[in-house]
Amino acid sequence: MFFLDNWSVLSFTSGYLIGLLILFGLQRFISSKYYLFTLLDVLKLFLIFIAELFASSIVVIGKILQPRITIKPGILALNTSLEGEVEVTLLALLITLTPGSVVIEISPDNKVLYVHAMDIPELSDGVRQSQIRFEKAIKRVTRP
Amino acid sequence: MIQWILFFSLSFLTFSILATIYRLVKGPTASERVMALDALGIYLISGVAIFSILLKSRAFFEIILLIGILSFVGTIALARFLERGAVFERNQSD
Amino acid sequence: MSEINLIELGIAIMVLVGTIFGFISSIGFIRLPDIYNRAHALSKSSTLSVLFVLLGTFLFFVMVEGYFSIKLFLGIFFVFLTAPVSTHVICRSAYRCHVELAPESVQDDLKAFIDEYTCHP
Repeated sequence: MFFLDNWSVLSFTSGYLIGLLILFGLQRFISSKYYLFTLLDVLKLFLIFIAELFASSIVVIGKILQPRITIKPGILALNTSLEGEVEVTLLALLITLTPGSVVIEISPDNKVLYVHAMDIPELSDGVRQSQIRFEKAIKRVTRP
Repeated sequence: MIQWILFFSLSFLTFSILATIYRLVKGPTASERVMALDALGIYLISGVAIFSILLKSRAFFEIILLIGILSFVGTIALARFLERGAVFERNQSD
Repeated sequence: MSEINLIELGIAIMVLVGTIFGFISSIGFIRLPDIYNRAHALSKSSTLSVLFVLLGTFLFFVMVEGYFSIKLFLGIFFVFLTAPVSTHVICRSAYRCHVELAPESVQDDLKAFIDEYTCHP
């Protein structure tokens, strides 16, 4: 790209594709995972997250626009099976970004997340299910 | 037509900023006031983006980034101050 | 000409939807009972409304003006990264300052944990 005077998208893309093919062919001699698969997993995590964001924000909007607010908030303790700071941080970020659940505290040994949920009888199952889905997707990204 | 829709959304933004200012003045605890300031930063970002569509100008994109960064840093500093009583701790034991 | 108008109309409606989300969440910011529930409204506003408005602006400058702005993309990314962090930090500081939960609350698993592990003096 820097050797040519004119930078064109076509030559860059074709060179990148050839590089991908060569790297895929040399896969047996490299110990780490093929990085395109990791990229696909990151994309899948992002799509799961967008779907959760829309679904649960519709629930929260319904709660807000009721004529009389009848919610039963509370704090749940969620046990997580993830290890390491990166995984727990990613899980807490995703749980906080889905509305209807805010991570308030994390225990010092990274085992228990304390989550404030907006409506305990309705949302606690949803929070646990989305936690399981997020954990699966995160494990696929961070673990080889 | 498009201008009218954008003005309409700006008026929605004005109402939400007014609601946030109500909570900023009234809020029972200091944490709620910090949260209201954070929300004000978010609404300001949206307002600047809508104005840059209205004026068809690229000059405001830096302002979007700047408001985001400043409101984030301010929120973190205020929350730490509420929690520990100081923003920077001078002698940490561990 | 009419295609450009149609694209602009779609973008304007997208921005309108974003600001309506912000408005609903500010209503929730007033109506909900305690600070933790208000944090739900805040985190929803800052993600969805900023996502819609900034994505609308981004698409406007790509499609109408033909200018790919990396700064707006960075702005979306940055808001997505910082909004949950600030919400979490405010909620944690509020809980450690002993802000009470709303009287409607039905469950509090954190109280025992905080009593045994008091971080602040």
